Amino acid sequence: MTPKHADDTGSHERNLMNTPETPEAQLASVAAVEDAKLAASQDSLSQGRLVFRRFIRHKPAMISAAVLLVLIVVSMTSIGIFGIKGWWPHDFKTTSVATNGGVPSAEHWFGQEDIGRDYFALVMSGTQVSLIVAFLVGISGTVLGTVLGAVAGYYRGWIDAIIMRIADIFFVIPLLLIAAIVAKTASGAIASPWFLGIMLGVVSWAGLARLVRAQVLTLREREYVEAARAMGASSWRIILKHLIPNCIGTVLVNATLATASAVLLETSLSFLGFGVKAPDSSLGLLISQYQNSFTTRPWLFWWPGLIILIIALSVNFIGDGLRDAFDPRQSGRVKKRNLAAAALMGIRPIAVPTATERTEEAVGNRPPSGTGGIEPAVGPVGAAEEDRKDEEGKR
Amino acid sequence: MMRTRESATHGEVVLDIRDLKVAFAAGDTAKLAVKGLDLQVKAGEVVALVGESGSGKSVTSLSTMGLLPPNAMVSGSVEVTGHQVIGLPEERMRKLRATEIAMVFQEPMTALNPVLTVEQQLTEALETHNLAFGQAARDRAISLLERVGIPDAAKRIKQYPHQFSGGQRQRIVIAMALTCEPKVIIADEPTTALDVTVQADVLDLLRELKDDLGVGILLITHNMGVVADMADRVSVMFMGDLVEEGTVQDILYRPQHPYTQALLAAVPRLTDVALTHDDEAGRLEAERVAAAAAADREVVLSAKNIAIDYKVKSGVFRAAEGVSFDVAAGETTALVGESGSGKSTVAKAVLGLLPTAEGELRVQGRDLARLKGKEAKLARRAIGVVFQDPAASLDPRFPIGDCIMEPMVVHKVGSKADRVARAKELLAAVKLPADVLNRYPHELSGGQKQRVGIARALVLDPTVLIADEPTSALDVSVQATVLEMLKEIQADFGFACLFVSHDLAVVDHLADNVVVMKRGQVVEQGPTEQVLHFPQEDYTKELLAAAPVPDPDAQKVRREARHRLLGMGAS
Amino acid sequence: MLQFILRRLGVSAIVLLLASVLVYFLTTISGDPLAGMREQANDPKVAAQMQARIVALDLDTPWFLRYLKWLGGAVGCVWGQCNLGTDVNGNAVLDQLGSAAASTLRLVLLSVVIACIVGILVGVLTAIRQYSDFDYIITFAAFVLFSLPVFWVAVLLKEYAAINYNNWIANPSFSPAQIVLTAIILGLIVMLFMGGSWKRRLLSFGIVAVVVGVAMPYFTWLRFWQYPQMGPAVIAVVILAVGAFALQTTVGFKERRVWLPALISAVLVMVVYYASWNLLSEPNWWILLGGLVLAIAVPWALGVWLGGRFRPQAVGAAMSVTLTGAFLTIVDHLFVTWPGFMALKPRPISTIGSNTPNFKGTFWESFLDNGTQLLLPTIVLAVVSIASYSRYTRAAMIDVQGQDYMRTARSKGLPERTVILRHAFRNALISIVTIVAMDFAAVIGGAVITEQVFGWKGMGELFQTGLKNVDPAPVMAFVLVTGGVAVLFNLLSDVIYALIDPRIRV
Repeated sequence: MTPKHADDTGSHERNLMNTPETPEAQLASVAAVEDAKLAASQDSLSQGRLVFRRFIRHKPAMISAAVLLVLIVVSMTSIGIFGIKGWWPHDFKTTSVATNGGVPSAEHWFGQEDIGRDYFALVMSGTQVSLIVAFLVGISGTVLGTVLGAVAGYYRGWIDAIIMRIADIFFVIPLLLIAAIVAKTASGAIASPWFLGIMLGVVSWAGLARLVRAQVLTLREREYVEAARAMGASSWRIILKHLIPNCIGTVLVNATLATASAVLLETSLSFLGFGVKAPDSSLGLLISQYQNSFTTRPWLFWWPGLIILIIALSVNFIGDGLRDAFDPRQSGRVKKRNLAAAALMGIRPIAVPTATERTEEAVGNRPPSGTGGIEPAVGPVGAAEEDRKDEEGKR
Repeated sequence: MMRTRESATHGEVVLDIRDLKVAFAAGDTAKLAVKGLDLQVKAGEVVALVGESGSGKSVTSLSTMGLLPPNAMVSGSVEVTGHQVIGLPEERMRKLRATEIAMVFQEPMTALNPVLTVEQQLTEALETHNLAFGQAARDRAISLLERVGIPDAAKRIKQYPHQFSGGQRQRIVIAMALTCEPKVIIADEPTTALDVTVQADVLDLLRELKDDLGVGILLITHNMGVVADMADRVSVMFMGDLVEEGTVQDILYRPQHPYTQALLAAVPRLTDVALTHDDEAGRLEAERVAAAAAADREVVLSAKNIAIDYKVKSGVFRAAEGVSFDVAAGETTALVGESGSGKSTVAKAVLGLLPTAEGELRVQGRDLARLKGKEAKLARRAIGVVFQDPAASLDPRFPIGDCIMEPMVVHKVGSKADRVARAKELLAAVKLPADVLNRYPHELSGGQKQRVGIARALVLDPTVLIADEPTSALDVSVQATVLEMLKEIQADFGFACLFVSHDLAVVDHLADNVVVMKRGQVVEQGPTEQVLHFPQEDYTKELLAAAPVPDPDAQKVRREARHRLLGMGAS
Repeated sequence: MLQFILRRLGVSAIVLLLASVLVYFLTTISGDPLAGMREQANDPKVAAQMQARIVALDLDTPWFLRYLKWLGGAVGCVWGQCNLGTDVNGNAVLDQLGSAAASTLRLVLLSVVIACIVGILVGVLTAIRQYSDFDYIITFAAFVLFSLPVFWVAVLLKEYAAINYNNWIANPSFSPAQIVLTAIILGLIVMLFMGGSWKRRLLSFGIVAVVVGVAMPYFTWLRFWQYPQMGPAVIAVVILAVGAFALQTTVGFKERRVWLPALISAVLVMVVYYASWNLLSEPNWWILLGGLVLAIAVPWALGVWLGGRFRPQAVGAAMSVTLTGAFLTIVDHLFVTWPGFMALKPRPISTIGSNTPNFKGTFWESFLDNGTQLLLPTIVLAVVSIASYSRYTRAAMIDVQGQDYMRTARSKGLPERTVILRHAFRNALISIVTIVAMDFAAVIGGAVITEQVFGWKGMGELFQTGLKNVDPAPVMAFVLVTGGVAVLFNLLSDVIYALIDPRIRV
């Protein structure tokens, strides 16, 4: 190191030097050190808890969750649900004369439409329906996709072939088309958003099934699965206790993403006229009904669109937060300081973590016993960054 | 034509590390991975950097190359042929790589880019550093491949990495490190992923290259045998500290630091092997002892001429054939061989994970292949298993207690309280605290997980324990602990053990009988005393000769013996 | 390889067959085709209509027999005897299919190509600048884009981009506020793309903002928006700049073996520009295709001939010059055509239909007409795909970054550009190709909605009216075409896959 750097970093240097000798150093065997560490460590967190902790630290996801929650609560309480009356004075069926051309006002927050119905009530009713359909699609599609994918991956052979060929249908035929046909059939049979949601779930499992299958194919070669098979555990026990719980990350993340796309799918179908039918209302149906009012009453067009965007966006962000929580290596979960360092290094990407760091990563946020509290800025890193910055400028 | 570059004179310091410290940000604090390392490598010498996992040896190698991840923070000095590397701008560091300092990585299977030909990967360094282009670069690459012992190099250079075997890939990686004639080569565990015979060949190659080209080699390894075979000087690291350094003789014969002493004591040794001469008297004595021991055995596992098939795309692949052995209660039989020998396949068949195509496989007299349903499940109760990879052997979503109790749950044995009591009992047997019951696998180290694996295998008091390379993923000192524990527990529980391993020294330490396998066939089998110390078959001798021992002088003798065995002449 | 392709084709055929059975069955049970008529069945006129429909849809036959009949007709397409059945009104579906398929597939293919190029480029950039502002903003934008309902965006674009532009072009002018705002926004975008140190960012922002701020009123004053012009001088400057950029990023200016072919190409471009003027004033597609072939073949030959050991760099530099030149030449012709086109069609950006009815004009005028019709639907479709492709690409690139061979590549001292393009990108492409092919069906789904908003008479229309009338024949035609194209696309991806990844080559 050049003298200049030594001056810059002298204090940190000392700090390092003065690190008290840890008990580790007196133990002369790795096994002994590990056992001592185990005895000393206190916190015992399941993977689920660790994931949850990471998730609640993910800001965009938490904000999105709050927004979504508010939206759900408002849509359910304002006009009421299951026949219970809400706090909003108007209902979405009563027609009247639109005051002042239906412009939004204190009385009618979202204005009124052509025949004087209160648009806030209409939009909230549409939101309810769209949310119900989306969540039902998300849940039923996820359950089907997980089970079919896990079964295909575990049994392989002809069961796998049949399930995957059926899944392939959805990669050849647009989902929108099959969904439209199914939705039309469903609304012909039982005109209820609940039924529609389940029917749409029945056709939107293929993507998740593929992912789960791929993961199960690798998981089933894991030694704990082989150990379970060797001890005589039944196939269902292995699938339910070992395989599916270990796919939970993929499943949860995709369940949220599937819910987000289900919002778009349902609204698109309703827009095309194959989804929710009047007198029920849906955000897509509202846009379809009022797209021609755009020039005269733009709010009729803006509100339902914005709410679709808010729902889909927040669900997508929650999914992103879940993905980062389950797979911290893929995420932006870098400490701020390092983030700055990485940014200063410009286009030089993060190199491969070594095996030792990977283990550290796996251990999680547990502060290293004994060595805690060391000032991290060691050595001429600052100088290195300066150099890189210069270089960056020249490039 | 190649530009001729002056090579470093013998004895000149080409790599000079002084007071190197490396820290990584972890959570809100930083963790020091290297705590002040001093190390010099001279041209033409091999310095071994020895340590177990967490010692900081790989981090050291990456810092010399300037390849640390951005969350690493470095201080101190690393000079490569006089160039200060720490804090060097990336653009200038880039120019040093390959030309002054090059690296050989551990995993030959993943270190090469799968979508580029070997030629592209060899020539790009030459072209990048303006050393040779086009045909000239290709010629140089071909000659390098020939140099590292790839046959038919001119043709094979057009192939992709997946068309080469593991050993060949490691040779290619070495050739790649040599392309620009660096003065220092960092070899990070260059033979760890290879079979012993391939390892011996690769070490021979590295030794030759060092002598011919006069490069300095920093050999990073955990294997004391490799150290004895290669190194001139040795530095020992432990938890980021440099605990001891000296010549190879000093360190291996007269270790000073308690850690080094413990480490060397933990290395299983295989000595007194009659490789070259026929020690008829010793062999007869060994046979006599073995025959006496065989008197009152209670055979619990027996295989007679079993064959096992794998389904592959082009039909059926016979992974093992004509394998016969038996294991008695309280005894250990080892299946040894290199990768592809079929040893794990046989173990899986015994576990009932693979069907046998021919022959008889009996556990306590019952033929496993003929049992169905309930009876098969009952027969499985009698078999416990410990697998190789501690990271994958426990379900990450199960608390340790559930992992251990799972066999009892599957076989509906005992009440909840009984199960917990049994689990605690076994945790005590593997010397883990009882409160581990409620912890999760990710909180345990590899060795601890492997001990939990042993506890799980024993929970139903099996008559047979299958141990498939149970210690090969562990550090030497941890391995010693686990093996010792296994021996003790076997003495207590009295199960028969089928031990699968590639490490002959471990087998010598543990097994009563040995079955040597090669490409699905049994090459040689018999009592350990006989097979490992008075081998009859050439393959067994070759295996024995290829396994390096942590004793420089003995290792030299062995190396020469091996060369004679392979007809390579003395070296 | 051939065996591999044939096997994949076989599997795809089975899947397509399964899909057709499923869709046929679901369509027949999706409703009652006679619903509207049953109540008035006593009216003899309606009864006759009902009877006609029963005959047209062959309702007295069970659905699987009707399906087999349809299948027989569809299989006939293999040897040119296509019969895709008739719709409710007794018209042959095949007759309607031709133009519908052409316009829809044009839209879908164009969007997919644009989305691939832009999406992959953005994805790679975000991956190598992971955790930068650029990355965060693009990530956020991508999330917004694929949370947007396609039909809503389409309506918005129609309203703002088309109608407002058409109003504006009648009398183009910018208010000062518009100029300032545009300059700032463009400057910010360029700044984000360029990245680097703050000094560099400020500089790029400043330059772009000033240039835009000056150019907008200047072009308005030139009446550029109505009478755009470029001319040979601009072309010459631009291609020289492109050539210089290509040299600077590869070997620098000193290497004669590289700059010579690039320079010769530039001269040739200018020669061809003048020589081909008359020919290109009234061209046809073959002439344009020939030009493209020349623009690729000539620089390649030059590079091979003069490049020596810098052959790849020489070919690259020369080809970037010729391709830019060819593109600018076409743009120049379009510019010249623009005033005439405006006279024919005073509201240039269309919002209804896939082409203007009764439009008669020269080649370039029709080209512009088709182009302006395609513009908005293509943007709508491409934008959503760009968002998802960029995310896939980013994930794939980051995944590859963690591989051991990347470290090996860096340890050889390769420049970061080589590491990214040669080692990382090729490997990442393997998964990107698969995902783009699998996404194809979703794009077609989006096209159905887009067509509906923009009033195209395409496949979507065919499908929608078919389904509304419980009329399987048009629906099945849709399945056949989109399914067939999806299978082709998957096959193409398999071939590319095999080309990139030597491990699966047979």
